[in-house]
Amino acid sequence: MSLVCGCFNLHCQVMMSYIWLQTADGSIQQVEQEVAMFCPSICHEIQTGMGSSKNCAISLPSQVNPAMLSLILDYCRFHQVRGHSNKEHKSFDEKFVRMDTKTLCELTSAADSLQLKPLVDLTSCALARMIEGKTPEEIRETFHLPDDLTEEEKLEPLRNISDDPRIRLLNRLYARKRKELKERDRSKNVEVEEELVDERSVDDLLLFINGGNGASKDVRASKSKKKNRKRKDQQNCAPSNCTDKESNVLNSMRHNAKAHSHFLPNFGDALKLHIEDDRFAPEGDFDDGVDDPVLREEIDREVEDFARRLNSDWPERMQEILSLGQERKRAPMSTDWNGSLRTYA
Amino acid sequence: MSGDDRCSGMSEDDGGSSSSYLTNRNGAGDSCSTFPDLVLENVLENVLCFLTSRRDRNAASLVCKSWYRAEALTRSEVFIGNCYAVSPRRVTHRFRGVSSVVIKGKPRFADFSLLPPDWGAHFTPWVTTMAESYRALEKLYLKRMCITDDDLTMLAFSFPCFKELVLVCCEGFGTSGLAVVARECRQLRVLDLIESEVSDDEVDWVSFFPENETCLESLIFDCVDFRINFEALVQLVARSPSLKKLRLNQYVSLGQLHNLMIRAPQLTHLGTGSFRLLENVAHSVQEPNYVSAFAACKSLVCLSGFRDIFAEYLPAIYPVCANLTSLNFSYANINAEQLKSVICHCPKLQIFWVLDSICDEGLQAVAATCKDLRELRVFPINAREDIEGPVSEVGLQAISDGCRKLQSILYFCQRMTNAAVIAMSKNCPDLVVFRLCIMGRHQPDHITGEAMDEGFGAIVKNCKKLTRLAVSGLLTDQAFSYIGQYGKLVRTLSVAFAGDSDLGLKYVLEGCPRLQKLEIRDSPFGDSALPSGLHHYFNMRFLWMSSCRVTRRGCQEIAQQLPRLVVEVFNWNEQEGRDMGDYIDTLYMYRSLEGPRADAPKFVHIL
Repeated sequence: MSLVCGCFNLHCQVMMSYIWLQTADGSIQQVEQEVAMFCPSICHEIQTGMGSSKNCAISLPSQVNPAMLSLILDYCRFHQVRGHSNKEHKSFDEKFVRMDTKTLCELTSAADSLQLKPLVDLTSCALARMIEGKTPEEIRETFHLPDDLTEEEKLEPLRNISDDPRIRLLNRLYARKRKELKERDRSKNVEVEEELVDERSVDDLLLFINGGNGASKDVRASKSKKKNRKRKDQQNCAPSNCTDKESNVLNSMRHNAKAHSHFLPNFGDALKLHIEDDRFAPEGDFDDGVDDPVLREEIDREVEDFARRLNSDWPERMQEILSLGQERKRAPMSTDWNGSLRTYA
Repeated sequence: MSGDDRCSGMSEDDGGSSSSYLTNRNGAGDSCSTFPDLVLENVLENVLCFLTSRRDRNAASLVCKSWYRAEALTRSEVFIGNCYAVSPRRVTHRFRGVSSVVIKGKPRFADFSLLPPDWGAHFTPWVTTMAESYRALEKLYLKRMCITDDDLTMLAFSFPCFKELVLVCCEGFGTSGLAVVARECRQLRVLDLIESEVSDDEVDWVSFFPENETCLESLIFDCVDFRINFEALVQLVARSPSLKKLRLNQYVSLGQLHNLMIRAPQLTHLGTGSFRLLENVAHSVQEPNYVSAFAACKSLVCLSGFRDIFAEYLPAIYPVCANLTSLNFSYANINAEQLKSVICHCPKLQIFWVLDSICDEGLQAVAATCKDLRELRVFPINAREDIEGPVSEVGLQAISDGCRKLQSILYFCQRMTNAAVIAMSKNCPDLVVFRLCIMGRHQPDHITGEAMDEGFGAIVKNCKKLTRLAVSGLLTDQAFSYIGQYGKLVRTLSVAFAGDSDLGLKYVLEGCPRLQKLEIRDSPFGDSALPSGLHHYFNMRFLWMSSCRVTRRGCQEIAQQLPRLVVEVFNWNEQEGRDMGDYIDTLYMYRSLEGPRADAPKFVHIL
């Protein structure tokens, strides 16, 4: 009798170690409890009493469809077993993430919704490897992403908040320029590409400004390299003075955190330099509400005039270059190479 | 820069996962299949955390709006190759969660006094802005920047998690600033002063480190040109169990070195200071056992210093030679024999810097033993225009025969032949950096009398991985034609006293699509060559031309055609070169998002 009871108990235990999960499509399935509990969010639900029967099946987030659930459970089933070595884990993981991009994305999202961090990291890392080495265009293709950054955004101007009437004019100028750019894009010929070369290559500006290429940490040890410049007179700072200096700095920190403001280009220059690129208002928003064609024409003229004025702001000597054959004064070539040549490299 | 700081505090959408777990997300499960973008949205930041290389991050940021935003939020290491290309504010606005910053300031030729002091590259605006925005900053690497003591003070008080400070070729600060950093940055692991000018404010900065155990892993101060408090240093080393890298300056004697070494046998990188006995300590009976001190350092792989070497003590380093991968003898005036006795024990050597006092014979010994050599630098003891010099094509040939894995070479010599350079181009296909400096203007191949065109041509032709090149000797436009034709991967090119006409520069500007840094001095390139680079200047970090034949007018043309380029010109003698037709001494131009800088000194004219 006791043996039967024992078996019966065992059977009950085995039965009770299943829980019920419901995916977003409505289908319900039974899953080994041990495996499911590997997911923190499911674990949490179980602890509140959910999932013990079909009626109180645990509702999974919408990202977890049956296919995703199956994959996730495969992952959990392997990882929740204690016996595996690190090598075995690694090997399993490597094989596990071999799937197409779309599935990988779905799986990452599904794992994230279940708070299963190890799997999120594993799939995220795999996705990162898919991104590595690709150009923006290639990345867009891989992930079916829209190309919704504007020319201006790619150049990343600073937002300049000012009420200057010149800005309004400039905005109209930019709106026109933007329209021009869009039209050029549509016509799609090689010449256009070349015309846009300046902007295009500046698109990659950020790529290189933030160092697209390796930084050469070129530590030079040539003893003949360093100049013997006289050091400027530095304030002598005995230990007791350190606190004074520090408190000065701290005071200035407290009062004036905008010390760097002089680094913003002054507006006049900014106009010249950012003429193609700056965005002072959300894009596409340039209709001013001006319906009257006469007024519109006037505005257009104003804008053109303004543009011309900006362009002619350049210093006077912007004329055709004199032919190179002309006589010129020759500046003496540097003759002190002796001291500097040896270390030029 | 070490990788991957996981972005802490980079929370997902509001509410976190737990609340969204129970609510229905946007639409049915089906939405995922057609729009992967939506699916990625919640985890994109997590994915981007695994992207560490700058290039990949830059690519990701240009994909689309949501990626741009996510990338900006998750970038933890920012690299600024030219401090004037972007403003601090722009950087901090875009990248919010930065823990590591690299900033480079002056162009390299500043190291050779070709840039007047006070030119710029001030750190102050950067530290001020970062102090507001990057409270979690941990690492800072600055190269060729002007840093004041106030800047260091602000740094020390603004970044409570600060861990690593590396200053390379910097100046403007002194011991007072260092003292504040030592005292306030309680989590400091790395304090590296490399080739920087430190002023002596007579503050004992070494004493300012915390009194209990420190986290110090690296302390490099071999460039400091005055004595430090040695007792304080000993105690500091004694209470820094994590210290792995220690590079002492030339005011530390052999005896003092010994004192430190026995307290830090865990060192992996050691700069030995002067490697000389103190004057009044003759060969006394009680001489410390230097050999056993070195023998105790079982992890030592990198040795440098030897600033004023007592060569007879060189055998003390024998116990560590077998494991050495990096050896810097570039301050050690030793001869071939002395070198041979050491180098024969160093089969694992990969990096070797040395003075030409070892002669061709010494280089032959290196070639015979160091089969794994990757980087070699041979510096001149005396730089003169002599015909005879201690090293020549013989040494170069020997190296190329023996060290087939060579990747980087810097070689100063008085005479060279095309044959040796060609040999190297064939023997060492892995060369990435080739810098040959034939001292002596316009020196031809000293055997054939020909220009060095063919040698350098072979280098760009055969070394397919070459990214950095410095040329010298008698060179015609043909050499530049080769560079333009074959140097497709070249990023950095240094030219001095070379070329015949503007064609040379044209070849390079038109032919090298990856060119980033072009520095030219004393070469006859003029205005007509400048427009050849108009299509490319934005892709470059900078162009430097000094004592060439460019005029103000020529530079003006470029400035007008490319508004986003900052074109700086100056003359050493302010009075000269006012006329548009005059040659200017120096042209330095670079791309920038900010326009002309506001802190340019008077002598710099921005066109």
